[in-house]
Amino acid sequence: MSISPRPSLNRRDFLRLSGTLATASFIAACTPQTEQTATQTSSETQSPSAEHPQPIINVSAPLAVIALNRMAFGPHPGDVDTFNALGRTDEERLQAYVQQQLNPETIDDSDFESRYAAAEFETLHKSLEELYADHIASNPYDSNNDAYWEWYSKPAYELVEATLLRAVYSRKQFSEVLADFWQNHFNVYFWQDDGVPLLASFNRDALRANMFGNFRQMLEAVAKHPSMLYYLNQNNSSDAGPNENFARELFELHTLGAENYLGVRDPNTVEKDANGLAVGYVDNDVYEAARSLTGWRVDDDLGDWEDGVEKTGGFLYYKPWHDRFNKLVLGHYIPADQEDLKDGHDVLDLLANHPGTARFIARKLCRRFISDTPPDSVVQAAANAFTEFRDAPDQLKRVYETILLSPEFSQTFGQKIKRPFEATISILRALNSDFTKVPGGISWMLGLMGQPVFEKRSPDGYSDVKESWANSMSILYRWNFTVGISENWMDDEDQGRTLRTDIFGQTPSEIRTAEGLADFWIDRLLARPMDDSARAAIITVMAQEYDPREVLPEDHVQYVLPAMVEVILMSPDFQWK
Amino acid sequence: MKTNRIPRRQFLQGCSAAIASMAGARLTNLAFAKEGDTSDILVVVFLRGGWDALNVVPPIDGNDRGFYELARPNIKITDLLQLNDQFGLHPSLGPLHDLYQAGKMGIVHAVGLNYDTRSHFDAQEFIELGTPGLKSTTSGWISRHLQQTGVSSILPVLSTSGLPTSLLNFTPTVSLNTPSDFSQWGNGDLLGSQQAALRKMYGGESLLHRAGLRTLDALNIVSPLVEKEYQPSNGAFYNDDELGQQLKTIAQMIKLDAGLRVAAVDFGGWDTHEYETDGNGGYIANLLDQLASGLANFYLDLDSGYTERLSVVVISEFGRRLVQNESYGTDHGHGSVMLALGGNVNGGQVYGQWPGLHNDQLYDHADLAVTTDYRQILSELLSTRLGNSNIESVFPGFSGSYAPLGLFR
Repeated sequence: MSISPRPSLNRRDFLRLSGTLATASFIAACTPQTEQTATQTSSETQSPSAEHPQPIINVSAPLAVIALNRMAFGPHPGDVDTFNALGRTDEERLQAYVQQQLNPETIDDSDFESRYAAAEFETLHKSLEELYADHIASNPYDSNNDAYWEWYSKPAYELVEATLLRAVYSRKQFSEVLADFWQNHFNVYFWQDDGVPLLASFNRDALRANMFGNFRQMLEAVAKHPSMLYYLNQNNSSDAGPNENFARELFELHTLGAENYLGVRDPNTVEKDANGLAVGYVDNDVYEAARSLTGWRVDDDLGDWEDGVEKTGGFLYYKPWHDRFNKLVLGHYIPADQEDLKDGHDVLDLLANHPGTARFIARKLCRRFISDTPPDSVVQAAANAFTEFRDAPDQLKRVYETILLSPEFSQTFGQKIKRPFEATISILRALNSDFTKVPGGISWMLGLMGQPVFEKRSPDGYSDVKESWANSMSILYRWNFTVGISENWMDDEDQGRTLRTDIFGQTPSEIRTAEGLADFWIDRLLARPMDDSARAAIITVMAQEYDPREVLPEDHVQYVLPAMVEVILMSPDFQWK
Repeated sequence: MKTNRIPRRQFLQGCSAAIASMAGARLTNLAFAKEGDTSDILVVVFLRGGWDALNVVPPIDGNDRGFYELARPNIKITDLLQLNDQFGLHPSLGPLHDLYQAGKMGIVHAVGLNYDTRSHFDAQEFIELGTPGLKSTTSGWISRHLQQTGVSSILPVLSTSGLPTSLLNFTPTVSLNTPSDFSQWGNGDLLGSQQAALRKMYGGESLLHRAGLRTLDALNIVSPLVEKEYQPSNGAFYNDDELGQQLKTIAQMIKLDAGLRVAAVDFGGWDTHEYETDGNGGYIANLLDQLASGLANFYLDLDSGYTERLSVVVISEFGRRLVQNESYGTDHGHGSVMLALGGNVNGGQVYGQWPGLHNDQLYDHADLAVTTDYRQILSELLSTRLGNSNIESVFPGFSGSYAPLGLFR
């Protein structure tokens, strides 16, 4: 491990911005607060929140809203109508939408593709080997120079930019949601040592290439990818001293999950299932798996001192490092001196086929697509599909289909809140914002919300439950983000990157009362009504000193409209999914 | 909008009379909270990743030094700062060694989670929930402590890195990175009406609603009170690293006298599976240097009338394996080291029963054993410094085993 270089984030613009805005905060701070504030504080004092069970929120939403907020990063203008035109009944519409999104190759994505082409990414077309050669082995710059580190990290930065671009504009929305899911499941930290530029390949070749396919294949692609080999120290694991980092997370995070970890125990005491396999894993299984995987490394002999190792940057099975003796994993005997790679493949087989893995992956997918605490019924149905189709080339597609067409999917809403990434993308989509190269400020704000893209340092990925995101800093920057976008404050002048949102231009010119404008934008952004009190609050922001039903002067509309739209986007209603 | 450059006095003068009376009431309330409550301000620093306790506080002499050096030929630490006859401190922790010698810092060795796990995420969760082995607990240990004692200020709890599990389900927690980042953007004179609308819309009972309202309340407290440029006391200097900036924020919030009771800090990067050291320097030395500099300057800064009411504990989910691995690192282990700093810490001592490093004395024949349950330390802290003798309410099922070590006065 070493401290990775961390180029300064693009904060200058914000610091500059702050000077002009400080006054507003000052005024706000002087605004008298209602009695409610004091009451709220003292009621928390007397009856602390944790003593109450969390109230169940009964939020309902049209199916289009459910589908577009879970299978997509929220609706883009027109998406709700398009969804509703897919069939005569909700069932037909969902069925059609799911089939379309599960088969992304059938979707015309030419608008996104031309935008992607216009972004002119320099490095994302490169193969793993090209990334390694161009950005690591033969980086043309002097390593004492900033240019060296810029070139080194460029593919990873471009990946972040392309990820944001895709998430906002691609019509293959479910693919983008899945890419986010799997990137978090098989998390690799952006600044992990040695292989930063290879992240672009990891995301594309290990995850995206397999996410509609077979889990066992994806698992192997991940286990052999240099990004993961470097990140979890598998690259140094040899028979002389297996490094257990990757093996441990392979069990705990990638396959069986902590729910199947039985702790530090004698493996002989673990119960076996009908096939003689251990029902869960203990530390000994981790060590034996680590031994099985010794010799799995990167072909990265930059110093030309190892026999039989080149510097292609690809996966290498390095036999001199492999522990050739027998192993016992999950009660399964792996004999000594098997053919090359087979010990590791056996471990992946055992894990991918284990019923505990089916349940763990199924539950995690249901947590993403349905609820923080998904009902067992749908988890079991998804696990059954995972097991039934475990040898199928479209195993994962079958599992997604089971979840998305389950009654639980259509019948729940509001049991999750959007994570910062989802909230950010959904705001850009809802407002039809326009960018090609995303300004640096977006990543900076995602950092303040607690979810900088690909920068989760530990291997568990970002949390997928609301408790992790309902904190003051994260919520505040969700709000600030809506303001930054709506007011067009996010341009990055130094890099010539613009991000533009024309709220006024998207508002029909015949609607000019505060009520009318509020109703138009509530429908446009939420695709469902708000309750009366929230609606009234929105109208009040729009009307200011005017009557809610009178025709507002044009300059008032122009000035106040973004502020009203911001409040709708800041509302709790916009955060549910 | 970032920094609010309006001094506090000017803030009070600047508001209209009616508004100022409201603000004044709030400030009185805060001051009241400070007068009435004499328990310590608790700062919990969680070192994520499992710090290598045996390289932080290695044995200095005897058989155990021999076992240690044998197990760690390439990553052993030398030139230790002597703590007592038995142990030394990593040379990068010089500033903390000074506090130890001044009696302001105590060390507990072979302490930790007395539960069989080497998983980061399980261990962190169990420690923070305060219920080893039980994940279904719905609140963190700090949450339960604060529920037991009650909170009476507007800014009782601060987290500088999201919401840690120890504060699970405690709504009054305010999370913020730096005070200057904690301000609301808005288009000039429309922000007030936006905030009024938000206050209405977030008036509900769900987790999200309550968090939104808490955000609005916190904005009222933090933005106006933060002065233009924070000046630490006593010449303290915070490094421009993650920990330094978090501790600076907490010091600043403590000095607002806004009734802060608990602050939680995360400091990650301790999962040293490879290339842990380079002689006495290298990766872990760099982390320890940040830790020592951050904590020592924090202490120095608050040694301006606050340390008598300050208790800082440093904890990690586990220690690491005695034997180094072939990557010149260490894998997940068991027993660990905790640090306690404060004006009422019985410092200058290493606490805990030392289990030894002979193979038969190791946990699972591999790791430093746990002889002191981490809850002993926190329970003593609760009852001695935090005004909460109801240990059972915070650590259910544990109070029967509670036996204070005498770490706190």
